[in-house]
Amino acid sequence: MTLLVADSLDIRIGDQRIVEGASFAIEAGRSLALVGASGSGKSQTCLAPFGLSPAIVQGSFRLDGEELVGAREARLRHVRGCDVGFVFQQPLTALTPHLTIGAQLREAWTQAGAPRPSRAEMAAALERVGLHDPRERLDQYPHRLSGGQRQRALIAMAIAHRPKLLVADEPTTALDAMLRAEIMALLGRLCDEEGMALLLVSHDLAAVADNADAVAVMHAGRIVETGPTRAVLGDPKSDYARALIAASPRLDAPPPALGPIGAPLVEARQVSVSFARPGWRRGRLLAVDAVDIDVAEGEAVAIVGGSGSGKSTLARAIARLGPIDAGEVRWRGEPLPPRKAMRPRDRAGLQPVFQDPVASLDPLWKVRDIVAEPLRRLRPDLDRMAVAARVEAVLAEVGLDPTLADRRPAALSGGQAQRVAIARALGPGPAMLLLDEATSALDVLVAGTILDLLAELQKQHGLAILMITHDLAVARRLCHRIVVMDAGRIVEEGPAERLIAAPAHPITAKLVAASR
Amino acid sequence: MRPALILIALIVVAALAGPLALDWRYDLIDWDAVRAAPFTAGHPMGTDSVGRDLLARTLVGTRVTLGVAFAAALVSLVVGVAWGAIAGWRGGKVDEAMMRIVDALYALPFMFVVILLMVVFGRSILLVFLGIGAVEWLTMARVVRGQMIALRDRPFVTAAEAAGAPPVAIVLRHMLPNIAGVAIAYLLLTVPQVVMIESFLSFLGLGVQEPMTSLGILLKDGADDMDVAPHALLLPAAVLVTLLLCLTRIGESLRNRFVQ
Repeated sequence: MTLLVADSLDIRIGDQRIVEGASFAIEAGRSLALVGASGSGKSQTCLAPFGLSPAIVQGSFRLDGEELVGAREARLRHVRGCDVGFVFQQPLTALTPHLTIGAQLREAWTQAGAPRPSRAEMAAALERVGLHDPRERLDQYPHRLSGGQRQRALIAMAIAHRPKLLVADEPTTALDAMLRAEIMALLGRLCDEEGMALLLVSHDLAAVADNADAVAVMHAGRIVETGPTRAVLGDPKSDYARALIAASPRLDAPPPALGPIGAPLVEARQVSVSFARPGWRRGRLLAVDAVDIDVAEGEAVAIVGGSGSGKSTLARAIARLGPIDAGEVRWRGEPLPPRKAMRPRDRAGLQPVFQDPVASLDPLWKVRDIVAEPLRRLRPDLDRMAVAARVEAVLAEVGLDPTLADRRPAALSGGQAQRVAIARALGPGPAMLLLDEATSALDVLVAGTILDLLAELQKQHGLAILMITHDLAVARRLCHRIVVMDAGRIVEEGPAERLIAAPAHPITAKLVAASR
Repeated sequence: MRPALILIALIVVAALAGPLALDWRYDLIDWDAVRAAPFTAGHPMGTDSVGRDLLARTLVGTRVTLGVAFAAALVSLVVGVAWGAIAGWRGGKVDEAMMRIVDALYALPFMFVVILLMVVFGRSILLVFLGIGAVEWLTMARVVRGQMIALRDRPFVTAAEAAGAPPVAIVLRHMLPNIAGVAIAYLLLTVPQVVMIESFLSFLGLGVQEPMTSLGILLKDGADDMDVAPHALLLPAAVLVTLLLCLTRIGESLRNRFVQ
């Protein structure tokens, strides 16, 4: 039986056409993944027909034979409350911060007219989505839960009223690779057990491979290809789907050609970092625990681990951009001064690129000034003309149109902003780049081009790279060596290919499995 | 935003230069025209309850009120932003100590402080400026500190550090411009507050003294007389309302421009 049929669905916001002529169908108990880049209209396609967006919907969208386009708000509310469950991308913002998990779960339960659940029933529901200590969780507020736990709690709420259809809008995008695999598996299992249909929205075609029966690839508001997942992934018909598949780094792709490695560049010894636990006298949390790490000239090293493993804290401590409690960092054999005593020439050698490209650029500055700032500060040998010439040169090198130089960050796309951030880092001619999740906030296609650019720059300039990522496939695309961190310690390290082929530590094995 | 700017400019020019062009001084009593209606006996806006020219008094009063508001805003801006920026940037013990000082000053009864100042230094309009400014910077310091803490961990601030910008440059070139919108919006909110405080102090006899006047005093006098001479209330009220609306309008435009 067909549960959901969308027929030439048009969605507009103001004068802008977001979706044009989208048609798809989901059988009861089956799953469909809508895949596309951000701005392709995939989220609107699954939210607007249910009245969850201010957009204007035309065409036909029938759930269980009932037309939802043009339905009254009261009716839509009933449909949302009883027949459909929603899981959203941002697990933190999707939970109400001042209500306990239990209170929110009870609300989800009773809104569809079910009797008030007992504590035991609610605890069982939380246990079912894989939350430990469910009774304790019922009385906790959302901020006490980690990202993965919050997403599990949201899923419990979405399925509490036993909907026929579960709509999951990028449910794993805000989570790290290991959690992504677990949450996707959980969604698949719950749908099987409950006989729920699943409408999954994702920008990552590879990620939905094991979890959706069918795929609809969206591009610029149109569905460019639909079909069974295996067929679309194995033999894509449209150019766009082919590009999407090619862009996402895979562990089974042929090993990339990497540049040569030189003398030791960075030697970090016994680096420890701790933070005060929030609250009054709750002691300190050891985020990085006496870690040794080396990077040679021209060598790309990836630090891989789940969120909270201390990988970002370690890299910032080495780059003197974050706190450090103990330990020594040597740069070409010389001890690197502490954070406050860093001289311009120390900073010039090591430049960072951060995860959120737009947030890492000062919103009030023009691209030209953003790229010029490290040049003015770190290269006193360059005069104004030389700085201007160098800005033009690096912008061209990262493949940015010179006309973008007078824009401000808000007027750039995510990919353009990340190119600006890379240009800024390249400006002073560093020996090493610190890439802190530099591609994980970008769409698959854009992330692919940014990775290609970084690989090209790495080879051309003999750049050393210290890359922080939770995705082994991304690490392998760029790096000679991989270091796996868990709970502030290095649990395994080795050449990328060997480590992926034969992981020795269980955490590594889990990461490898999550990236397949 | 342009009409608001033009109106403000007109009011400021009128308050500064207007009294010179009038026949009557603000403190001269016309014994022949007490509570005169507008457009009579050479008084374009009439006179008040003791026969002083209302237009002259309103212009001089506007001058005083604008002066107090400007001085308080300046103190609030300079001291409040500097204090809040240092506390928010340094964090830790420095932040704790500086914000406890702010809390302590908040806790002092404001009127008591002003009366004490008057007793020690004698009565002067300068003390009114200082007294109001000393209170108004406290909230600004809190606002700026909160914004600084929110900005401190933003990636673009870390990026500026990596670009070799010294702390002073990071605060002045990256962080303060990004909180300017909020600070200005707040600053323009303090102006009506200051006008209220000034008129209250004047009412208690601690602020501006007769025959000198201010919009606050004129409003109070006008309100006392409104059943027999409504124009004495309407004129200063119209000036004050126009002033506040224009300031709010400019504040909003500036905030939108900065926050984007």
